[in-house]
Amino acid sequence: MKIVVAGKGGVGKTTVSGTVSRALAQAGHRVLALDADTNPMLGVSLGLGPEQTDLLVAVREGLKTGETEHERTTEGFVERFGRDAPDGVRLVVASRIDQPNPGCSCCGVSAEQLLGEVEGGDGQIVVGDLEAGIGTVLRLQEGQADVIVVVAQPTAKSLEVARRALELAPERAPRVIVVANRVRDDEDLAVIHAALGEDHEYVIVPDDEAIAEADREGRAAIDVDPDSAGVRALIDLADRLAGIAAPA
Amino acid sequence: MLAPMMRLAVAGKGGVGKSVVSATLARLLARRGHKVLVLDSDTLPGLTISLGVDPPEQPPLLDAVEKNDKGRWRLRKGIGPVRAIQRYSTPAPDGVRLLQLGKLSREGSAPLFAATNAYYQIVHRISHDERTGRASSLQDWVLLGDLPAGARQVAYDWAPYAERFLLVVEPTSQSMMTARRIARLVTGMRADADIALVVNKARSAAEAEKVATFLEREPLAVVPFDHAVRLAEREGAALIDHAPACEAVAAIGRLADRLEADSLVT
Repeated sequence: MKIVVAGKGGVGKTTVSGTVSRALAQAGHRVLALDADTNPMLGVSLGLGPEQTDLLVAVREGLKTGETEHERTTEGFVERFGRDAPDGVRLVVASRIDQPNPGCSCCGVSAEQLLGEVEGGDGQIVVGDLEAGIGTVLRLQEGQADVIVVVAQPTAKSLEVARRALELAPERAPRVIVVANRVRDDEDLAVIHAALGEDHEYVIVPDDEAIAEADREGRAAIDVDPDSAGVRALIDLADRLAGIAAPA
Repeated sequence: MLAPMMRLAVAGKGGVGKSVVSATLARLLARRGHKVLVLDSDTLPGLTISLGVDPPEQPPLLDAVEKNDKGRWRLRKGIGPVRAIQRYSTPAPDGVRLLQLGKLSREGSAPLFAATNAYYQIVHRISHDERTGRASSLQDWVLLGDLPAGARQVAYDWAPYAERFLLVVEPTSQSMMTARRIARLVTGMRADADIALVVNKARSAAEAEKVATFLEREPLAVVPFDHAVRLAEREGAALIDHAPACEAVAAIGRLADRLEADSLVT
């Protein structure tokens, strides 16, 4: 199964991707976490820490200086630009900061292509953390994602991006889930429902001090407090997603 | 008589408050009598919401370009950067002018291709003219660019006019890492460009200090965490209209003071 996570910058895509990946791995699934953002940060939310995350990015940057060889096969790409994160999640950084599009155009590998080629079968679950905005969702082809998770928070800007993503998503994946993130009160939820409609499959993640602390400190939210309301909501999302795929 | 040479680009991680800072700063400077041109190269409608304008359906810059005999999009004959800005920028409150690349639609980026070319050529012609000392009627304007989230447009030289990059940073690890990545890119590409730090959403002096230490820079301004910003963002209103007397607007006013003072010294 392949899950991609989209939304405006700063809405919590990476926290959702990282926490869901860890929760799935803790439940016994084999998880490949694909960082398809040109500003790769998924390592932080998986619990690798800021330094290790920047180190992985540096490996990708090494291509520019010729220190790293290009990798034209998907398997080689996952091997070379990946590393193991806590709970056995395999993290792959698919993008370079200095490349115009997610993926590696010099290797001929785009984020969408990687999503298309990585094997989501054999019980493996792929979680793709997409670049901010709707660019990658626009380019997604049928078969590259089984689930599109659109993350929104109660701000007009993020809801505008989510609304656009939701216009595109149903043609591109059989299942679409909306994560209403950082919900503090009924008014917040009402704003989200008013903008996006109530008919979607929703996961409501309350505004959460453990997640805020994880953000401040560069840690995985699931390591800061797995029992906080916000983290629990994301673990529930992982359980729901896992309902489709049996553990390996 | 003020003669500001303010050439600014605002950059940072998504969600740190780039557009709120940019839009509020633009409107405050305009209210102080500056001519302000805001440059919006984001294909998503963030800045327009913070400025308080509706984005046009079609990118106005589509009318500024034509295909040359090699099939490439070029600014139409007779349209230099100044005329393009006069004709194709749109008015925003307080007399601010807004030059927009255009907004992504469900048709994807293809309809934006011509406007993207026009925008990129205009910003490069502005900076070329200014660097070669060519008289430009933009010289008494403040140029303020709001770049999309992340480092990509910095890497691709989308703000060649910028003499100063304002890195907006909130006290989160990912925001600080993003700012450090952008700072390295700017330093590597543009040795003459200045980098200034704006700490946003600071809940305490210690949080501002943490950001300053990580990035090894003294902040030009510290904007406190302010619930008024959260509420304005929820409504999709310009902060300066929604809560003109809030602490965040006051802090952005002090940022404007610093920028004005710096521009007079040079």
